[in-house]
Amino acid sequence: MFALIDCNNFYAACERLFEPRLEGVPLGVLSNNDGCVIARSEEFKALDIPMGIPTHKIAPHLRRCIVLKSSNYTLYGDLSARVQQVLAQQVPTLEPYSIDECFLDLRGMHEDWQALGATLVDSVQRQVGLPVSIGIAPTRTLAKLANRQAKTQPARPQVCVWPSADAPELAAHLARLSPREVWGVGERLNARLAGMGIVTAAALRETPDSVLRRRFSVVLARTAAELNGRACLSMGDLETPRRSILCSRSFGQPLRDRASLAGALRHHCQRAGEKLRRDAMQASAIGVYMRTNPHHAGSFHQACEWAALPFPSADTQQLNRAAQRLLARLWQPAAYQKLGVMLTELTPRRQSQTTLFDGAEPARQEALMHAWDSIRARYGRQALTLGPQPVDAPWQMNSAYRSACYTTRWDELPRARAR
Amino acid sequence: MTMTPIALAAPASAPAPSDALQRGASGFPSPADDYREAPLNLHHHLVRRPASTFFMRLEGDDHRHAGLHHGDLLVIDRAISPRPGHWLVAAIDGELSVLRLERRQSRLYLAPSRHGLATLPFEASDDRLWGVICYAIHALPATDEESAMPPCSR
Repeated sequence: MFALIDCNNFYAACERLFEPRLEGVPLGVLSNNDGCVIARSEEFKALDIPMGIPTHKIAPHLRRCIVLKSSNYTLYGDLSARVQQVLAQQVPTLEPYSIDECFLDLRGMHEDWQALGATLVDSVQRQVGLPVSIGIAPTRTLAKLANRQAKTQPARPQVCVWPSADAPELAAHLARLSPREVWGVGERLNARLAGMGIVTAAALRETPDSVLRRRFSVVLARTAAELNGRACLSMGDLETPRRSILCSRSFGQPLRDRASLAGALRHHCQRAGEKLRRDAMQASAIGVYMRTNPHHAGSFHQACEWAALPFPSADTQQLNRAAQRLLARLWQPAAYQKLGVMLTELTPRRQSQTTLFDGAEPARQEALMHAWDSIRARYGRQALTLGPQPVDAPWQMNSAYRSACYTTRWDELPRARAR
Repeated sequence: MTMTPIALAAPASAPAPSDALQRGASGFPSPADDYREAPLNLHHHLVRRPASTFFMRLEGDDHRHAGLHHGDLLVIDRAISPRPGHWLVAAIDGELSVLRLERRQSRLYLAPSRHGLATLPFEASDDRLWGVICYAIHALPATDEESAMPPCSR
């Protein structure tokens, strides 16, 4: 069994944790440089202000009744790590999927799944103070759908369990669901499926494997198998390209020294940057995740941290610089087995907001990355690789409404009033 | 040449100093190496559950009678279940507030210290509960801490 656990309206919930007056208030969180709305509370959604709306286009009468916050990835990253720690104390294997979601591998556990789900949700709510929902099912693809279903439940804890792929409530759910809603099925794939008369997830999973392999791809055939309860996709196989990118790998030999880990990290940053540019996207924040082998004797160590990029970027060098800084913070003398890079808040490249700090650089960076990609495409991936990067001076970015870094800076601690 | 003090009370089970001696900077093996322990780490002492532990600053002097002063550093562990006698952080009127949990006639109340504020009935699963304060760290005048805080408004 797998579980997907997801924080509800994560950024808004993080802001509210230390500012209880924001409870019940329509709350929006802005992108880097306060350009547009990237996260909304339920009350904000109810006002029909769309996701991604440029900040200056919000109507003045709405502007008066909402609260806007600059994104504070330092705070979100710290709280995200705490959520993972609480979960990691209770389940053997945890894989972060994005800043607010992680998969739990529950294989080998025999539990009352409903009770386990409720316990996990309650422990995160109590110990970290963030509302989460959980979906539990035989495969990752189904767990993701179950999580979405859990979020629609009005009662807490929000837990949805599909114990097997032929559970009747699951079959009914898939019969109503468009294939587009399934993990890894994009707009174009959905249109092609519709052309063949496959308009529900139920129809997708009933399509013979050989047909899917012949007319589409092995990955889609695996997706259908996952819908039928056969776990065959790993985390790396599928990402939702619009929201996040994940590059991670387990090492053949555990890595101890920082230099080797830095090398592995450069490698992941190269891949992540290439994926971004291939999809014509740019990222606003980057996370680094590392862990030791959970099945080995000795102390288990895992850590994950996030940082905002100075401005949205698809530049491998930028990504690597930020990632190396995170590594320097995370590294401990331990035998690491896995290292990963996550990119989040992806936006299409053409929507780029220029900042004072860009100057004439974007065009040059763009040209550099273009040259980079073509050299590697023509002469092979080893022809050109990223060497060690000097750590640059810290940068400043525009975040007029940023909350305090409540959990990471002594001079920004929350104040509690004596009554 | 530097000398390293030798630990006086050697437990019987400790390895003999001749086992696996390490060379000090002077080239001499340091007999103390076998007894070296990690230095005391106050953070680990005060923060037993890092995932659920948060720090806050206390604002206001209303709880001075209980030894809680304006500017004190509060260590809050959300994993602790509140019991009567505990000091809590609770969200009251949209504000993080510090109050004491009390039992009166078998019912629970959030009891303020400030005159004129009402005691608030408290349920076991109260939404207003933020966390239980497990330590309040108070700086004495000799430290620099005090001057970093603005003077108390009350």
